[in-house]
Amino acid sequence: MRRTGIFYAQLCLTILLCLFIVIPIVMSALAGVTVNVFQGLSSGLTLRWIFEVWDLYASSIFLSLWLAIACLFVTLIAGVPLAYVLVRKPGRATRLFEELLTLPVAIPGLALALALLITYGGVSGYRSSWLFILTGHVLFTLPFMVRSVAAVMSAMDMKTLEEGAASLGAGFWRRFFTVIVPNAKPGILAGALMVVTLSVGEFNLTWMLHTPLTKTLPVGLADAYASMRLEIGSAYTLIFFVLIMPLLIAMQILANRGSKPARATAEDK
Amino acid sequence: MTNSPNQVDRAQDAGTAITLTNCAKTFADGTRALMPFDLSINAGETLVLLGPSGCGKTTILRMIAGLEFADAGGAIHFGEDDVTRQSIEQRRVGMVFQSYALFPNMTVAENVAYGLKVQKVAKAERDQRVREMLEMMHIDMLADRRVDQLSGGQRQRVALARAIAPRPRVLLLDEPLTALDAKLRVRLRTEINALLRKLGITAIYVTHDQEEAMALGDRIVVMQKGEIAQIGTPQEIYRAPKTPFVADFVGASNCLKVDIASGRALLGRVDVDVSCAWNANTGTDGLSEIYFRADGLAFCSADDAHFTATVEAVSYLGEKLRVTVAGIGDDAVMVDADPDSVVTLGETVHCRLVPEKLTVFAAN
Repeated sequence: MRRTGIFYAQLCLTILLCLFIVIPIVMSALAGVTVNVFQGLSSGLTLRWIFEVWDLYASSIFLSLWLAIACLFVTLIAGVPLAYVLVRKPGRATRLFEELLTLPVAIPGLALALALLITYGGVSGYRSSWLFILTGHVLFTLPFMVRSVAAVMSAMDMKTLEEGAASLGAGFWRRFFTVIVPNAKPGILAGALMVVTLSVGEFNLTWMLHTPLTKTLPVGLADAYASMRLEIGSAYTLIFFVLIMPLLIAMQILANRGSKPARATAEDK
Repeated sequence: MTNSPNQVDRAQDAGTAITLTNCAKTFADGTRALMPFDLSINAGETLVLLGPSGCGKTTILRMIAGLEFADAGGAIHFGEDDVTRQSIEQRRVGMVFQSYALFPNMTVAENVAYGLKVQKVAKAERDQRVREMLEMMHIDMLADRRVDQLSGGQRQRVALARAIAPRPRVLLLDEPLTALDAKLRVRLRTEINALLRKLGITAIYVTHDQEEAMALGDRIVVMQKGEIAQIGTPQEIYRAPKTPFVADFVGASNCLKVDIASGRALLGRVDVDVSCAWNANTGTDGLSEIYFRADGLAFCSADDAHFTATVEAVSYLGEKLRVTVAGIGDDAVMVDADPDSVVTLGETVHCRLVPEKLTVFAAN
């Protein structure tokens, strides 16, 4: 194929756009490993800032990971059965419930946090524990889990599958765990990755809800930007990046696998 | 559900008789799906529920399965057991669905083993039974395949094997062949027929296809708008339909209005004795409707003819020529002709009714 001038013009534009987005990321990452960012790279490369971040904020990072796992646990236990009910018993009540469930995504995180503070702020043991932040995270991420699982569930003929299993003698729980859950696995996996990613990165809500002892990774990041030298903030970003990237890539892979058309069936001989 | 050895033994017997007494079904929105009816199915019998969509045939099947419950006052017995209030899990039925309902997360063998696992059959025996089932359905080479790698015909074979493996008391088949193409449908139908005879299991088969019903049923129940229109052997249904609806549904869709006096009627311009078309179910003097299939009318010479008609359409079906003619009754009538004969559109033809192939109903 002969390439025209238009092709090269488009190529240039695409490359420029990519650079526009990628350069700040590279700059930020480099700043995290530069001895003195104001002198530039000539000052030399170092891992010092990374270690310093680790010393200062390791607890925040671990708290974030712990919160993400706890949040995943709660959304799995609550979200999968919820999705099942929403798909299996469609009606006005379930529709209304679904809307309610989605509300926390639409409302600004700050407002949601404020509501939580007004209602439960006085319960001191709860207010100061990580469970308070977990509550916010669950409210915010649950709709993503439910949506993701419900989408897969409504694509399979759950009613007939269940009837098939029931005719073979399987009671409700057996049907649920041997037929419904395994077949909803793609949705559950995608939802799980989404929940973990959102929980690790959540800032709005968490910033309002946190106490000095319950600081999460993004809250610590804001803290580092505001009060530490630029190199430390950048090193922090680098750590965050390393944590979140594998999750995002896994999510992309899962999404691709889900959208592939079903394999063609073999012909009858 | 308890699995006493005694119960398992009984399932291996010829089959379970099923009795439905005074069963009716009204749905939550108030629609009456089934008028109250009684129906008994003999042990080991294959009963076909036949009718157009919305006639209630699937509702009966689902009531027997335990997926729907009869209105208060109805009772369902499997042999001596009253199963009216039992859920589907407790009834030990085998079910085959139009959409197969195979579990996509399991292999073919795992699908077939599912019911046995639920029954807590020991692994060695389970594996053995799964192998037997797969061999019987000629799908043993597919044991480790995933179900999404199978064709429609293979899937339905797996579904059959899965339903039969736990030795159910009754096998329920809900339009199992509807999703398959015509050629495969006939082949699988033959296989299912042989299988049901071999197992001697009580089977209830729902279909809207009268050919399928004739081929499979020991008895056929023809359903119309929530009521049983006729129960009988395929021959009875075919030869002596009780109502115009049944006649029409099993293929006698040509209809003529005549007045019968002392067993004779004026067909076109000829007075013919039609009393030979009367049967145990129907036929009497008075204003009547004559129903007949495409072979109930024949082309003939002008001298023998009852009617003179005009050819409206001709379709070549291979083994015969199906000709639509106008001018005999109010509606056009279909006639079969020799496939090698030449019939042209608009041609004037002579034809006569074959009295033995008519069914006569009093007109209302």
